Amino acid sequence: MRILLDNFSKSFGATKVIENMTLEVGHGEMLALLGPSGCGKSTTLFAICGIHRPTGGRILFGDRDVTDLPSQARNIGVVFQSYALYPHMTVAENIGFPLKVKGMATADIRKEVDRISGLVHIGNLLGRRPAELSGGQQQRVALARALVRKPDVLLLDEPLANLDAKLRLEMRSEIRRIQRETGITAILVTHDQVEAMSMCDRIAIMKEGEIVQIATPAEMYSDPRTAFVAGFLGNPPITFLRGVMANGVFSIPDSEIRVPLPASVAAAEGAKLMLGVRPEHFTPTGDIAVPGKVMFAETQGRENLYDVRLNGGPLLRSIQPVRHDVNIDDAVTWAIDSRNVLVFDDDGRRL
Amino acid sequence: MKTSRMLGLVMIAPAAIMILLFFLMPVVLTGVFSMTNMTTATGISGGAYQIAPHSLNDLKSAMPEIAEQMSQPRYTIDEVGLKAVEGLGLDPGIATELRAKHMGEVFPSRREVERMIKGLDQRPSTPDVKKISEQFNRSVVNSRFSSKEELFSVLDTLGFTLTDGQKNSVADVTYTGWNWTTENFSRIVSSPDMARVLFNTLLYVALVLVLFNTTYAMLLAIWTHYMPSAPATIFRSIWLLPRITPVVIYVLMWKWLAWDTGFISVLMGKFGYEPKNYMLDNAYNAWVFVVLINGFIGASMGMLVFSSALKAIPKSQFFASEVDGASRWQQIRYIILPQMRWPILFVTCYQTLSLLASFNEILLSTRGGPGKATEVWSLAAYHTALNNYAGNLEYGLGAAMALVLVVIGIVLSLGYLRIFNYGTLVSRPLIED
Ligand SMILES: Nc1ncnc2c1ncn2[C@@H]1O[C@H](COP(=O)(O)OP(=O)(O)OP(=O)(O)O)[C@@H](O)[C@H]1O
Ligand SMILES: [Mg+2]
Repeated sequence: MRILLDNFSKSFGATKVIENMTLEVGHGEMLALLGPSGCGKSTTLFAICGIHRPTGGRILFGDRDVTDLPSQARNIGVVFQSYALYPHMTVAENIGFPLKVKGMATADIRKEVDRISGLVHIGNLLGRRPAELSGGQQQRVALARALVRKPDVLLLDEPLANLDAKLRLEMRSEIRRIQRETGITAILVTHDQVEAMSMCDRIAIMKEGEIVQIATPAEMYSDPRTAFVAGFLGNPPITFLRGVMANGVFSIPDSEIRVPLPASVAAAEGAKLMLGVRPEHFTPTGDIAVPGKVMFAETQGRENLYDVRLNGGPLLRSIQPVRHDVNIDDAVTWAIDSRNVLVFDDDGRRL
Repeated sequence: MKTSRMLGLVMIAPAAIMILLFFLMPVVLTGVFSMTNMTTATGISGGAYQIAPHSLNDLKSAMPEIAEQMSQPRYTIDEVGLKAVEGLGLDPGIATELRAKHMGEVFPSRREVERMIKGLDQRPSTPDVKKISEQFNRSVVNSRFSSKEELFSVLDTLGFTLTDGQKNSVADVTYTGWNWTTENFSRIVSSPDMARVLFNTLLYVALVLVLFNTTYAMLLAIWTHYMPSAPATIFRSIWLLPRITPVVIYVLMWKWLAWDTGFISVLMGKFGYEPKNYMLDNAYNAWVFVVLINGFIGASMGMLVFSSALKAIPKSQFFASEVDGASRWQQIRYIILPQMRWPILFVTCYQTLSLLASFNEILLSTRGGPGKATEVWSLAAYHTALNNYAGNLEYGLGAAMALVLVVIGIVLSLGYLRIFNYGTLVSRPLIED
């Protein structure tokens, strides 16, 4: 079911959290709301599920205006950031609760609970209470409870934040699989860009209550509209060089670093620029060689990560296949891949 | 090591002394009093020995002859009597002759002593004989002795021949002080009045507890929970008023409402009803008022406890249940009430104990009336021991009644503590797998 936020605004008293946001999530689509802490992700989600009434604008499910409908009438499943499990109920009772309040027969509830708990691998925990579960187990119970009533819309508020790395990977594909199979429209709130990129059809990046950019993960990565977006996607994150337009190339004053810019970039002579260089575009194989000193080296197993201080002062990050010949304080001359640099103006707008 | 232990003892000493003085001592004293038959009549210090008519009555069944003898007047010619005769202003020869011939003689009856006086050389006139004989009347009835020894020696000089056992029986029946006894408890067990009071107490505790201290308090808590916070605060404060109003004034307002020139009477007067004291008009009304007065005071505590327990339930649970489709009623039924189990139990325990012990609202409103319709245990103990119309305060019985309350309270508290501890024991530890 399509979700449309039409000019949606939300403020708490004098605090304006969201102003005039418009966002459309297509039927069966999974959208990530990605942004730093406090940018209004949960607030948006709460408005969609009817817990917060918007202070302005409309919310539509399909063609139905649900702006003034209470949560109970919206048929949504929500996994809350804090799980919000009922501590006095067993896992089975927690999962079955949405069905119980619908008045479904006990035997049918049990069948549904068994089915859904198998799906999220907690079939063996049904008799326990939430206090007797680990964080990850609680999260899966919350997911099961959100899914059990076959909602039209699934809202996930950081559903994987408390899982260990392996379980997180597993659950990522699990949630995605369930979402695809059920054809449910889903919104995933997260501040983990990897999660957003790997699970969702599209990503909406939020900053201070505004959506900065909506795009598919690949587009968003290769074609960020602002420096903020570029900085938010990618792990390890992008690094920026500050400089000016001089003689048609990007140059950092008081240093030899000169980087030719892609033809599409139009900047006036002398304009202040920011050059975004992703770690994978600063390697021994690029075309613009720059000398520097290794300040920091870290191995991530398959790859190594280096922070290199250039002779002019600025820092670049590099990611390379594992090698053992470079250590901290070594002088290196690696090269920037000038075809893949991202150019921003002084305000962070992409050029 | 040693000094630290000393220090520890010194540190807890004040607390220990406080516990001893203010918690243990009253209970111990109540226990001590409850084992006596102290009343206003016996006093609480030792008593005296008084040969009162009723004590001779008591003696009659065991020692009929001695009782009979002691109830008769006795006449002994002694120095005191002679002095008195000299003071009568009669012929001094009479006293002289009596002293010379009859000193120390004891006459068991008036007739005999008067015959002797008539036979004196001086021949006093008949009215004088009466006057003279009266001076030697040494009847023991209504005489009072401060100790057993004094009693015995007087009995001896008056010529009663008693064995030691008989003397002690006399001492027992004439003793006016208090004795050790367990009679209070058998009276409590067997008296129908006490059964009535017990029933009243159970009714009172149950009605106030169930209707107001828990149910009504819970309604208030839930009701204010769903209100916006400003009006909720106002409502909670209003419901606190009965609690923070001085109880005398609060009850006075109820009395004003109920008495025969009060609000209800005036209102009902408009419909042609005679004014009357609605509170004390009949037992049913009295109960309604007693329950309402105590209920409105008691509900505030439950409301506070329940409200804060409600606040402690994370908001997200309410959000989640709404999203899950639960109506407000289902939210109350499945989310709120199950999580109120401990607060409800706590309020129940606490209020049972305080309802059992408190009687000031009843005392101030109905005084246990009409008749003894609203007399509850603690009020009955108060009436028995400290304040009643008859004026004979039965300290011993009252203490025994109080002790029964104390014992019930301790037993209940221990039971409650067990339940609460059990509660913490059953919450199992976090198990990972
Ligand atoms: N009930 C409220 N009253 C006032 N301000 C609120 C309320 N709820 C949220 N806010 C404010 O709104 C802003 C957005 O909060 P929100 O919870 O949506 O952030 P978020 O993006 O979900 O952050 P996080 O990633 O930390 O969960 C924050 O600045 C927060 O302080
Ligand atoms: Mg949040």
